[in-house]
Amino acid sequence: MEVKINTQDTVTTAQLIGRLDTPASQEISGDFDNLMKYAAGTVILDCTELEYISSSGLRLFLSLRKAAASKGGKVIVKAINNEIRSVFMMTGFLNLFEIQD
Amino acid sequence: MSRTRHLDPHCEAILQEYQDNLPRFREVEQKVKERLRKSFADAGLLVAALESRVKSYDSLAGKLELKGQKYSSLADLTDILGLRVITFYIDDVDKVASAVERLFTIDWENSIDKRKIHEIDSFGYLSLHYICSVPDFPYRFEIQMRTLLQHAWANMDHDTGYKSGVEIPKRYMRNMSRLAGMLELVDDEFSKIRIELTDYRRRVQALVRSGNLDEVAIDGDTFRSYMELEPFSQLNRRIASMNQAEIQEVSLMPYLAVFKGMGFKTLGDISDLIKNYSEGAYQIACYQIGLTDLDIISSSIGPQDLCIAYILKNGGGRAGIKYMFDLLNGESESNDIMAEMLLEQSKDLPFMNTSN
Repeated sequence: MEVKINTQDTVTTAQLIGRLDTPASQEISGDFDNLMKYAAGTVILDCTELEYISSSGLRLFLSLRKAAASKGGKVIVKAINNEIRSVFMMTGFLNLFEIQD
Repeated sequence: MSRTRHLDPHCEAILQEYQDNLPRFREVEQKVKERLRKSFADAGLLVAALESRVKSYDSLAGKLELKGQKYSSLADLTDILGLRVITFYIDDVDKVASAVERLFTIDWENSIDKRKIHEIDSFGYLSLHYICSVPDFPYRFEIQMRTLLQHAWANMDHDTGYKSGVEIPKRYMRNMSRLAGMLELVDDEFSKIRIELTDYRRRVQALVRSGNLDEVAIDGDTFRSYMELEPFSQLNRRIASMNQAEIQEVSLMPYLAVFKGMGFKTLGDISDLIKNYSEGAYQIACYQIGLTDLDIISSSIGPQDLCIAYILKNGGGRAGIKYMFDLLNGESESNDIMAEMLLEQSKDLPFMNTSN
């Protein structure tokens, strides 16, 4: 699992590459801690190359969203595949995030 | 720092005292603001703005140049530190005032309720000014309290070049008075609306609590009151128990549009939905997450699956589900893909093949 973070002005994009299962969530939790620093602006989670998300991955997304909400920023989840979209829907989190195709 | 001024030694001494104490003024400014903020938050009082400023060197020098002899020392000037609280509603000005009275010592002799001293031939829409002090700080400060409309008036009034009480040509006075009266009326009307809305909410809450849901039309207020009773929690807990999942509480307000879109008129319709479609919603959830190891769900899973069950059972089909997701997530082609998937998954579920 790989995370590439790129910041331009108030927009931070994190490219998530690979499978976000439980071990991978632990592996990249530091990257999400880092992303929290940008939560006052816009954080785009680019999921073009994200293949899978587990509950632990969802928790990372949620904690980032919570930080953004408290700091007046926003999290955009971009280009999720149908399998991940279905996980968001099945768990009731779909309308919690701004999702861009 | 400043243009050349002609100040006598007495005024220069006041200016020097000001400069010596400037850091203390700034410190007190922050402390007073903090105490006000906390007090408003504790009282659940929402204010439009809390502003403050310490008078600038130039502004003070200008004032002393004009009327320095009026003041024997810096302590005679009460506006070196000034704060302003701007409220949304006229009755909140009094709430702010009583908070200020509790927090600080008020110099009543010099505080003015300008709202009460209107002369018959004056114009204006004025605010409440308190001169305050705190222990261990020898200087007084001023707190102005006014509504947004009073604030608007004060700024417009200032721009006309006439201060209240100053004689102005009669032909303008009538128009200014009319305008001030209108703003006062608007402030009063806003307050009345708030009081009526509060009454309405109380009545609705009483109806909701007493279970007379068929009598309560669905709107933002009634829906929020109903959500406080957590009507979906039993279903959510049942779904969560499948995977011993944690439930994340989220706002269910987006579902207001969905229920309205489904043609629901009263809270009783939502209550009936829960009564009649919980089994279907549970079956959908079982099918979807029962075979996964997903152990976190949001509190919107209950209403979401209830709506899906209702739409499918009542022939809304793929278009109905897509419409629901469009309302919740914004229009998107992906919503159609999910609708198709749900339609496919649900057709063999037991609730679809039983009569209601």
